[in-house]
Amino acid sequence: MILLFAGCTIEFKPEIMEDKELLVVSGLITDQAVSNRVVLSRSTPIGNQIISNALTGALVTVTDENGVVTTLTETSPGIYSTDSTTFRGRVGGHYALNIFAEGGNYETDFVEMKPVPQIGALYYEKVVITASTDSSRIDEGCRIYLDSYDPTGKCLFFRWGFVETWEYHIPYPVVNSKCWATERSDRILIKNTSVYNQARISKYPVIFITNRTTRLQIKYSILVNQYSITETEYNFWEKVQSVNENVGGLYDMTPMAIPGNIRCTSRPEETVLGYFSVSAVAEKRLFVEDQFLGLPHFYTYCVTDTLTGFLPEEGLNSSYWVVDDNGNEIPPWWVITTYRECGDCVTDAERIKPDYWDDF
Amino acid sequence: MRFLFFAGLILLSFSGHSQDSVRVYPVTWEYRNQSFGEFVREAEAVHDIRFFFVEEWFAGRLLGNYGDPVSVSLVLDNYLSGSGIYYLITPRGDIILTKGYMVRLPETRDAEESKFLPREVLTEIKGDEKIATSMFIDVGNPADRNKPGNATISGWVRMDNTGEPIAGVTVFNQQLSVGAVTNAYGFYSISMPRGSYSLQYSFIGMREKKLNVNLYGDGEIDMEMSSVLIPLKEAIISAQRNATMQRFEVGLEKISVVNLKLLPTSLGESDIIKSVLFVTGVKVVGEGSAGFNVRGGSADQNLILLYGAPLYNPNHFFGFFSAVNTDIIRDVTLYKGGIPARYGGRVSSVLDIVPKDGNRKEFAGNAGISPVTAHLMIEAPVIEDKCSFIVTGRSTYSNWIFRRIDNPWLNSSMAFFYDIAGRLSYDLSKNDKLEFSSYFSNDAFRLNSDTLYRYDNTILSLRWKHFFSNRFFAQLAANTSRYDYTISSDRVLQEGFKIAHNVRSSGFKADFNWYPAGRSEMNFGTELVYYSIRPGDYLPSNDSSMVNPFLIQKENALETALWFDQKIQVSSFLSVSAGLRFSSFFALGPADVMQYDPSRPRELSTITDTISFLQNRIIKSYAGPEFRVSMNFILADNSSFKINYNRTRQYLHLLTNTTAVSPTDTWKLSDYYLKPQIGDQIALGYYRMLYRNSIETSAEIYYKRISNMLDYKGGAKLVLNGNIETEIINVRGRAYGAELSVRSTEGRLRWSAGYTYSRILIRSVTEFNDELINSGKWFPASFDKPHDVSATLNYLFSRRFSFSASYTYSTGRPVTFPAGVYQTGGITVPYYSERNKYRIPDYSRLDLSMKISGNLKTNKIAHPHWTISVYNILGRANVYSVYFREENDQIKGYKLSIFAQAIPSVTYSFDF
Repeated sequence: MILLFAGCTIEFKPEIMEDKELLVVSGLITDQAVSNRVVLSRSTPIGNQIISNALTGALVTVTDENGVVTTLTETSPGIYSTDSTTFRGRVGGHYALNIFAEGGNYETDFVEMKPVPQIGALYYEKVVITASTDSSRIDEGCRIYLDSYDPTGKCLFFRWGFVETWEYHIPYPVVNSKCWATERSDRILIKNTSVYNQARISKYPVIFITNRTTRLQIKYSILVNQYSITETEYNFWEKVQSVNENVGGLYDMTPMAIPGNIRCTSRPEETVLGYFSVSAVAEKRLFVEDQFLGLPHFYTYCVTDTLTGFLPEEGLNSSYWVVDDNGNEIPPWWVITTYRECGDCVTDAERIKPDYWDDF
Repeated sequence: MRFLFFAGLILLSFSGHSQDSVRVYPVTWEYRNQSFGEFVREAEAVHDIRFFFVEEWFAGRLLGNYGDPVSVSLVLDNYLSGSGIYYLITPRGDIILTKGYMVRLPETRDAEESKFLPREVLTEIKGDEKIATSMFIDVGNPADRNKPGNATISGWVRMDNTGEPIAGVTVFNQQLSVGAVTNAYGFYSISMPRGSYSLQYSFIGMREKKLNVNLYGDGEIDMEMSSVLIPLKEAIISAQRNATMQRFEVGLEKISVVNLKLLPTSLGESDIIKSVLFVTGVKVVGEGSAGFNVRGGSADQNLILLYGAPLYNPNHFFGFFSAVNTDIIRDVTLYKGGIPARYGGRVSSVLDIVPKDGNRKEFAGNAGISPVTAHLMIEAPVIEDKCSFIVTGRSTYSNWIFRRIDNPWLNSSMAFFYDIAGRLSYDLSKNDKLEFSSYFSNDAFRLNSDTLYRYDNTILSLRWKHFFSNRFFAQLAANTSRYDYTISSDRVLQEGFKIAHNVRSSGFKADFNWYPAGRSEMNFGTELVYYSIRPGDYLPSNDSSMVNPFLIQKENALETALWFDQKIQVSSFLSVSAGLRFSSFFALGPADVMQYDPSRPRELSTITDTISFLQNRIIKSYAGPEFRVSMNFILADNSSFKINYNRTRQYLHLLTNTTAVSPTDTWKLSDYYLKPQIGDQIALGYYRMLYRNSIETSAEIYYKRISNMLDYKGGAKLVLNGNIETEIINVRGRAYGAELSVRSTEGRLRWSAGYTYSRILIRSVTEFNDELINSGKWFPASFDKPHDVSATLNYLFSRRFSFSASYTYSTGRPVTFPAGVYQTGGITVPYYSERNKYRIPDYSRLDLSMKISGNLKTNKIAHPHWTISVYNILGRANVYSVYFREENDQIKGYKLSIFAQAIPSVTYSFDF
C-alpha cells in the first residue's frame, strides 16, 4: 500500500485547439442596501491567460413577480449594477434576469429570495501541523469554523462567501512597511441541511490558514457572508464543486458541462454558463490575534545586497529598492532588494487601515 | 448395457493380431528377501523379459515368502497386492507396472489376458523428449473390427492426486484431427470410425498423456492426469492446443492457476483478474483500477461467477487486488464471445472461476507472505476418496504497517481487507455428489479522512450432481450472493451518517447434460434468480446525530431463463452448436413509479403522476430469446475456422459515472424505465498450429452492437437518488476489432504474444436536445483503447529456478479536456464540452519475476518458494490521469503517474 505513494506529477502543456467563447453570467441580487451586480463576460479558451473578457453594451434587466422592471447600468466594462438607492431585494420576493446581448435574448426563471438566519458563531481553532520531513517541529495553523441555526427551518440550503483581511509588516525600516491585504473566497462553501431533522450547522470548516502565508503574522480578520439558496442553486454549486475537485482520476465524475439557470431563448442550442443567484445575506466578522507556533520568517529571500559608499541612482525604485537606508552614517551603506514587495508592502496590499480594524 | 472395455495389449510391432497366450516365467532363484530391484535384475538375466517401472514405488520393501515353486506373475501378485500397483505381462515378455490407473476388464474375455493397465511412463512426456508410445490398447472386441460405422470411446478424466474431475481436457485423435473436450464433470465422449489411432489427453497445466488404441467397438477409458508442479517437477504445460481447434466457441480463454502463478506479480500477489488482462480483447481503464472491459463492453457487462454464483465486487482495495485468492482456484474460463446458452444475464463476457475440491488423498497446504498479505490454504480428505475440504484465507497487514510509519497522512489512514473461501465436497454415492461452498470478503479503508468505506461479499452455494447414467447427468444448484457497502462518517457527531447499499440475489439452477450415442451433446436447463436491492439508505450513525433517515425504495425482481443447446457433428470437418436461451425479467412491487411529461426530458419538474404497485405485483416485465450459434470447420489437421453469433440480455446494471468502476457504485435492476441491455456479437476465428503443433496461432474478428447502455447527465447524482431515471441517458454502443495471438507452451521456454485492435464507440439516443452527448455523434467510450500489445515469457532454467517477464502496451484512454474556463461567483470553473476528445499518453510496462524453490526432496515436510518480482522495471511514469489547475491566472495541465518507478516485491511461501 505504501507503494501507492510512489507516484509523481508532471506539468504539461496540453495541445488543445479550442476557441469557443461562451457567454458567462454571474449575478447576485440580495436584500442589502448595496448595489447588486450582474457580471457578463465570455469564457476563456483553455491555454490562454485568464483575462476578464468583459461583455459590454448589453441590456440587463431584473423583473420582480409584480412585473416591476429594473434596468441595470453598466458601471464598468461588463459589470451591470443596480442603484442602491432605488433598488433593494425583498425577502420573499421573486426575481428574474433578462439580458439582451449580441443579438441574443437570455433569461432565467423567477428565483425566490429566501430568508437567511444570522450566523450563530464564527470561531477558530489552532491546528497542529506536523511537517512531514521533521516530526519533532510543531507548527501551528488555524482553522475557522462557523455554527448556524435556522429555528424556522426555512433555510435548508446554505452557501457562504468570505473576505479575508490581514495586517502584515515588512521587517525593514521602509515607508510602506505596514499594510492590510484583502482576499475574496475562491472556493465553494455549501451545506445541505434538508437531510437533517433541523436546520443546524455545527462546526462547518470555513477555511484553513496555513502558516505559510503572512495571514497569522500580526492580526487577521474574516468577514463571512451567509446566503440562503434554492435547492436548484445548491445542486449547481455541488456539481461545480465536483468538477473543480476533479483530479482526472478514475474515480472522479465524468467531466461534463454544468448547466446553470440562464438560457438563450433566441438560440435554444446555445450554452450559457454561470448562475444568477438571489438570496438574503447575513454577515459576521471574526478577528484572530494570537500567537501561532512555528511561523516562518517570510523575508529570508529579500536582502539581495548591501552597498557601501555609493548608491547607484540608475534602477533605484525600478529594479532595486532600499530596505535599510544608512546613507547618513560614515561610511554610508544601504541594504537593497531586487524584490519590490520586500521594500513596499503596497505592492500586494493597501496601506489604509480598514475602519473596522480596531472596533471589537 | 453397452459398456465395452479394454482388451489385452498388443505390441505396436505386431503384424496381424497374434493372440499368443502369455508365457509362464518360473522363478528359479532364491527370491526371498530380495529387494524388488534385485528381483527384477535377476529375472531379466534368467528370462528374456524386461520390466518397466518406477523404482521409487518399491523403495525399502523386500520380497516375502510366496512359497515354492513360484512364477514371476505369482511373485508379482503377492508382492503388489494392496499396493495399488498393477502389472501386465505382454506376450513378448515386457512386464509393465502401473500405479493408480484403473481400467475395467472385458466381461467377454478371460481374466488372464486382460491383467493389463497402460503404463504411465509410456504415455507421458518427459522433459523435451516424447517417449515413443509403443503400445496399443484394444477397445471393444477385435471380432467386431469389420463392422461398419463409428465406435465411441467415453470416460472420465480425473486428477491423480485428488480424484477431482477435470473439465476442459482435450481428447484428440491426431490421425483424424477430431477431438472432444471433457465437460464440467470431467466426462468426455469421442466417436470415430473403427481403426488404430493415437489419442492425446491434454490440459493446460497438466502433464499430457498419450494412448494408442485399436478401436473395435464402443468402450470406456478413464484417465488420471497429474498436474505440473512448477518448478518442483520438470514438466511441460501443454495448453489447450488442440482444444482451440475443437471447441465450438470463438473467444474462449482458459487460464490455469499453474500458468497464472508463473506470471510476474504486482506487489507479490498473483492475481486472477490481472492475468485475464493479458488475454487479447480484454482491457482495463487504468492501472490498478477495478473492472475490466471485454471487447468494448462496460465493466458491469462481465458476469463473474464463483461457485456458479455471481460475485458483485471482485476487487480488493479499488481494484489493486482481486477478491478471490488464487489458492482456491482450480481454473478460470473467460468467454469473450460464443457464450454457452447455460450462461446469461450479462452482455459482454462470462468469467467462470472454478475452485478446487480439496485433496481427497492426503493433507496438504500452502502458506505465504507477500508485502501486502499473508495467506494460508489447507486441504485434506475427511473420508478418503469420498469427502474432502479446502479452506483458504488471506489478509492484509497494511494497518499494522501504517501505524508504524512516521507520517500523519498514513497514520490517519487505514486500509484493510481479507477473504476466506472454503468448500466441502462429498460423494454420497457413485452417482451423487454434493458440494457446499462459501466465500466471504471484506474491505475497509479510510484514506486520510474521516470517512470510512467498507464493503463485503458473501456467497453460499450448494450443489448436487446426480448421474442418471454415464451419459445423462444433472446438476442442481442453489446459491445466494450478497454485496454490501457502507460509507460512514462521524467527523461532526451531530451530522454523523451512514449510507448503506446492498444487492442480494438467490438463485436456483437445474442443468442437464445428455450425451446420446454418437458425437452429439445436449445441454438444457432452467434458472431462477430473485434479486433484492437496497439502492441506498441514509441513516444517522450515532444517537446524537440529527440526520433524518432517508430511504430509497427497495427494488425486487425475478429473472428466469430456460435454455437448450445441442452440439452436432455434421461431418468429419463440420460441427455445429445451436442454442437458445429464453430469459424473462419481472420487476416486482412494492414501488411507487413516477410518471413524466413525455414531451419533455425526465426531470423532477416534469413529474405528472405517481403509480403505486403493491407487494409482488409486476411493475414491468421484459422477455426475449437469446440465440447462441457456433460452427466449427476443421480445415486440415492443424487448422480450423469458426463462426459464431450470440445475443445476450442484461437486467442488472451498475450505476457509475466515474471513469472506472468504484466500490461505491450501486447496482440497479431494470425497471419501469430502465430497459435491459442487449448485446449482439458476431465473431469469426481462424486457428492454426505451427511447427508440429508446438506453436498455436489464432486470429479473431468481431462486431458487436449493444443497445440500452447507460450514460448520465452532467454531474448526475447517482447515490441516494430515488428518481434515477431522471439522470440516465440511453446510449447505444458499437464495438469491433481484431485479435491476433501466438503462443508456444512447450518446453523450457514458453511464451505468448497478442495484439488487439478494438474500438468501442457510443452514441446517445434521445429525442431531447439537452440530453445529447457530443451533439448525438458517435464518440469513443472511456475504455476505448484501440491498440494493445501484450507478451509473456517464461523460462525454466532448472527445476528450482524459473524466470518470467511480461510486457503490456496500450493506447492511452480517452479523456475530456476542458474547452475553456469561466468565473462565476468568484470561482474559476473549467468548462467541458466535447467528451473524450483527447487521450492520455500511451501506456507501456515491463515486469519481471524470478521463482526460486528450495530443497526438492519430495519427502521434506515443506517445500519453500521465493518469488522475486519487479513491477514496471523500466520505471516508466505511465500517465494514470490528467487534470487541470488554475495557477497564476492560467490553467495548467498535470499528468499524474501512480507507479512512476520500478516496484520490487518478495513473496515467500511454502507447500506442505
